[in-house]
Amino acid sequence: MAIEKAVLLGNEAIARSVVEAGCEVACAYPGTPSSEILPGIAKFADSLGIKMAVEWATNEKVAFEVAAAASFTGKRSCVAMKHVGLNVAADPFTSLAHFDIEGGLLLIVADDPGHHSSQTEQDSRLFGLFAKIPVFDPSSAREAMEMVKDAYELSEKYHILVMLRPTVRVDHCRQDVEYSEPIKLERSAKFAKDPKRWNCLPANVKINHPRLNQKMDAIRQDFTESFSKYNYEVPAQEEAKLGIIAGGISFAVVMDLLSKMGRKDISVLKIGTPHPLPVDLVTDFIARHKNVLILEETYPVIELQVPDRTNVKGRWNGYVPRAGELVPEVVEEIIHKALGEDFSRPVDEDLKKAIEELKITPKPPMLCPGCPHRASLFAIRKAFPDGIYPSDIGCYTLGVNQKAIDSSICMGASVTQSSGFYLAHKIDGKLRPIIATIGDSTFFHMGLPGLVNAVYNKHAFVLAILDNRITAMTGGQPHPGTGEKLRKGETGRVVPIEGAVRGCGVKFVRTVESYDINKNVEILKEAWEYAKDREEPAVVIFTHPCMLLRQEQPKILVRVNDDTCIGCKFCINFFNCPGLAFDEGSKKAFMDERFCIGCGVCTNVCPHGAIEVISEEGR
Amino acid sequence: MQYIIVGLGGQGILFTSRVLGKIALKRGENTIGSEEHGMAQRGGSVISHFKIGPYKSPLISVGDADILLAFDQNEGIRNLHFLNDGGHSVINVHKREAFQNENLKKYLTKRNISTFLLNGYEILDKHMGGNYLFLNVLILGAMSALGIGGICFEEIEEAVSSLSPVKFREDNLRALELGRSVAHGS
Repeated sequence: MAIEKAVLLGNEAIARSVVEAGCEVACAYPGTPSSEILPGIAKFADSLGIKMAVEWATNEKVAFEVAAAASFTGKRSCVAMKHVGLNVAADPFTSLAHFDIEGGLLLIVADDPGHHSSQTEQDSRLFGLFAKIPVFDPSSAREAMEMVKDAYELSEKYHILVMLRPTVRVDHCRQDVEYSEPIKLERSAKFAKDPKRWNCLPANVKINHPRLNQKMDAIRQDFTESFSKYNYEVPAQEEAKLGIIAGGISFAVVMDLLSKMGRKDISVLKIGTPHPLPVDLVTDFIARHKNVLILEETYPVIELQVPDRTNVKGRWNGYVPRAGELVPEVVEEIIHKALGEDFSRPVDEDLKKAIEELKITPKPPMLCPGCPHRASLFAIRKAFPDGIYPSDIGCYTLGVNQKAIDSSICMGASVTQSSGFYLAHKIDGKLRPIIATIGDSTFFHMGLPGLVNAVYNKHAFVLAILDNRITAMTGGQPHPGTGEKLRKGETGRVVPIEGAVRGCGVKFVRTVESYDINKNVEILKEAWEYAKDREEPAVVIFTHPCMLLRQEQPKILVRVNDDTCIGCKFCINFFNCPGLAFDEGSKKAFMDERFCIGCGVCTNVCPHGAIEVISEEGR
Repeated sequence: MQYIIVGLGGQGILFTSRVLGKIALKRGENTIGSEEHGMAQRGGSVISHFKIGPYKSPLISVGDADILLAFDQNEGIRNLHFLNDGGHSVINVHKREAFQNENLKKYLTKRNISTFLLNGYEILDKHMGGNYLFLNVLILGAMSALGIGGICFEEIEEAVSSLSPVKFREDNLRALELGRSVAHGS
């Protein structure tokens, strides 16, 4: 049979390999750059007719624990998340490292060097070192596919959790790959009761921790002796002036650069298993080169494990930047610097001047035209111009553009920050309105514990739950509030947000239509009065479907009246819609018809009434 | 062959790299590229890298791209530096006069960069009921007619046809043909 080939997104390639490896239970919470892995697993399992449980979990900790217990029964399982998701799952992650698991357990953590869609550039390989588990660091989609299978083998050989750590350029690369036949394990779930094995009791640590150390020693030896397909040297064709140790995508970048530069005097040691580091391979390479450079993203994980860094150039001595992505332009400069060669990239003055003269700047992301969040955030700011606006992680964080978001930390922290703001002001006896925003999926992810805490401790603030019926920022995944599941046609049970909020003990709960700005301003004011008087949180649930769901809605054509517009930019600064632009020549706002979708919400925005309705359809 | 595709989130850049991927697969050539998903897709600047040939890294270095496809003129101008000397670009323009800028003209001449400018919004307003979803295919059609990018019209047609959801297939193929005729008529 001919080998079947395909061009896949890195995450789809990883998904395909998880299915081919005989995984039976897969869980995840979406997060860029990991979101496409789980739908890919379901797609390939279904198309191959393989029975698999594939589910979105409410958060990464939940997903991790579901996958872990499946492994206890002997099944192969998998859990996928973005790097900051592992912070949420850090508790089961570190505990589980100590376990002698049964079925192969694969943790896929997608890192985001260059912070394309994330709040940190943290390096999950370091988390692997911290928890003491083996880590594979793929340099391409193709290699990631192979690593998935080896990770399962290793996981079962040593009864240990294994991490695959792709970075964004692997997750979101598109590459030609080859399919393999899925292996058939035909295992039934068998949970053998064994209190010492399956309980994290302190008494067991005495046995488990030394055993984990032994596993690390044995795996290090394995990585040194039996994994030359991931850890290998590409020798220089001439006498080497520099030896580069490179991991992950940095290896690919280096190889393309060396071929472009036509360099024959640089050798490369590729490291695909950065933890536990095959130290002997690395020290041998360093011993044979007077000048060594280490390139890896984004923390010095290989570097830190090198016993003697005297001849090593890396982050510790400032040769490699400690933040940002190692893109080819950056790597080229580092290589020249490590060689002691002069190098400066010529900046073309003509293009630079043209860009300046034409006032061209990168366009930052914005909420979509018609996005219900824009209306909700506008109402919040209008109701409480002096309020404090704690927020959360999701599309609505882009509300900073509308000056309607003051602080965001991580998933669920809108609710808990509100408590902190409240307590700090209460002590002084001077309350300020606090209006927090959180998305529907984020509310289920980590909003609930904070809300229970606020009800219990009697904290006064307004929580605006922005329910757009979808996990939007990550590309549109369902969540418990919709009751839909990952596979089309498979339905779960709806967990209504309003019911959940009432169940937490909140007494003031109102559900509103996001587009009704004027009405919502009044309801928000009422909610704050209630919260302040009773010393308890009040909740307003803003509902309107996400524009990505493309549901039919009335189309309202609007225009900016040039005579009425005074050019104050209020609409630009506080409504911030791609459909509303400003003409610097005439000093007037105008509708940019390339982007306007006719939601009509902006007619409530202009303080001078300059935004007018031309016509309405379907209302 | 190295392609840079730029524009704004939501303009169909990802579909374009899938089309290129499909073509490379059909030819049996190795391919690797890089896309942007997530936050970058919310209407902001988006860039895709796409390489056909024996490459390992998905990223294209500044000055190495053969082709620049720009769905937005500002993004196009901002990313001209990715092109190699003698490189080619197809740019969707909404304010053509920007290309009269003296410094820009000097830069393009000096580096021998060709620019094919088309007002995709106008074309789609006139021929496709103002549906700008077809901008990506329109530009691919123009690229093929210009004889740049090393990909012929039939290859693109086949890939677009097989990747289009049924309800968009016919319109996508129409937009492709439209792009070709615009470039031919130039």
